[in-house]
Amino acid sequence: MGEAIVITSGKGGVGKTTSTANLGTALALQGKKVCLIDTDIGLRNLDVILGLENRIIYDLIDVLEGRCKIHQALVKDKRFEDKLFLLPAAQTADKNDVNPEQMKELIEGMKADYDFIIIDCPAGIEQGYKNAVAGADRAIVITTPEISAVRDADRIIGLLELEENLEAPKLIINRIRPHLMEAGDALDVNEITTHLSIDLLGIVPDDERVISSSNKGEPVVMDPSNPAALGYRNIARRLLGESVPLMTMDKPKPGMFGKLKSIFSSK
Amino acid sequence: MKAQVTGFLKNIVNIKGTNKGLLIQLNDMASYTEILDELKKKVSDPALEGDAEVQVQLANRHYSKAQLEEIKKVIHDNSKMKVIGTKCDVVTVEECNRMISERQSETYVGIVRSGQVVKAKGDLVVIGDVNQNGRIEAGGNVYVLGRLKGFAHAGASGNKEAVIAASWLEATHLKIADELETMTDELDSLSEQPEMECAYLHTSGKIIIDRLQELRFLRPQISTFKGGS
Repeated sequence: MGEAIVITSGKGGVGKTTSTANLGTALALQGKKVCLIDTDIGLRNLDVILGLENRIIYDLIDVLEGRCKIHQALVKDKRFEDKLFLLPAAQTADKNDVNPEQMKELIEGMKADYDFIIIDCPAGIEQGYKNAVAGADRAIVITTPEISAVRDADRIIGLLELEENLEAPKLIINRIRPHLMEAGDALDVNEITTHLSIDLLGIVPDDERVISSSNKGEPVVMDPSNPAALGYRNIARRLLGESVPLMTMDKPKPGMFGKLKSIFSSK
Repeated sequence: MKAQVTGFLKNIVNIKGTNKGLLIQLNDMASYTEILDELKKKVSDPALEGDAEVQVQLANRHYSKAQLEEIKKVIHDNSKMKVIGTKCDVVTVEECNRMISERQSETYVGIVRSGQVVKAKGDLVVIGDVNQNGRIEAGGNVYVLGRLKGFAHAGASGNKEAVIAASWLEATHLKIADELETMTDELDSLSEQPEMECAYLHTSGKIIIDRLQELRFLRPQISTFKGGS
């Protein structure tokens, strides 16, 4: 019996879809059978990031309205032997065409076939959010070290805590820029976790290759040397129950001059 | 036939001067229409000096809001007197229950997050943080054992004596009764050490923040313990 996890944030643009794609891929790399569900009806993106856009035939609405069977709508990612599937959102319908009960029933029926069902939630706290959360067993909240994102995360955590059949939400801090945090120009990890007071599931450093790989349709997590990929891989391992220490942000190594400077400035 | 007039007054309506101003006493045994007629007669007496502020004493009788308005209207329409208050010796059951609930204290354990509202009729004790855009509202005082970073409203039903106290007072908005204060130096006040503070409504009508230790001098009535041992 699998587990359904909703990935949400409240604010848009903090990396929900990217995180869904990468976590799903990381779990598939660990040998788990994963299905990703895009619930952003009308504004679907998850298919693009996974590079599965032109293989979509049916979508979520087709399944819910009985125009096709689930297995017909699922898009299999051929890079992972029978491990990673996507249930795409409809692009021509809108969020009010689905209701939470339908989602709950759908996900309940799928749990037996997968180890993980990861639900990509749309931004906002309206109908789309309610649909996405309805079938989930647990929630992951994504935020970035920006005050606006943390505020919205706080709001969404408050709403998630009201859901009775949901475990306490966990936090991912995305797009961390170590030099900004050190300079005190961005909220640091500690500040964010104490403010939101929920468990931290992991941190993901900001990296340009996240964008370029998303554009290519290859989630960055497939490149093991990338720091953002390491962040996602660690989170996936924690989801599987391993205890992995929080990654340290490697600072750029100081050169000869920098070393001398630090010796003198410490005096 | 005229109704038998008993009670503490011989007359149906009595106007008397005290050192605190004029007092209009309404007999609680007379009928309401009689009172209105008599009141109209008495207050329109040209012998009465104008401009006075009067208290209306209602004794052991409950008047509805509409009736009170009618009484005030009769006085205001027929004289230059101004009603500054009414005093009634009886309360309705609802009012009594409201008064009891306003004196009680409710406790909320947890974080009041953005978009959440926690309300209490009486005092409110929050054990946990109140995050930005979170709102707590109490008919009485507000006490926060944690960081108050959101919106706190004390004395929501009009009590100007109510206070807001917190372990960390970093609220964005403070409101006592109808007075609202926005805290613009929110970021400056972020302190690592807990700085227990309280906010109260100063006689100037402004909300003032002071050390929590000052509370026992500012609002001694909050303490329900009397005397010493």
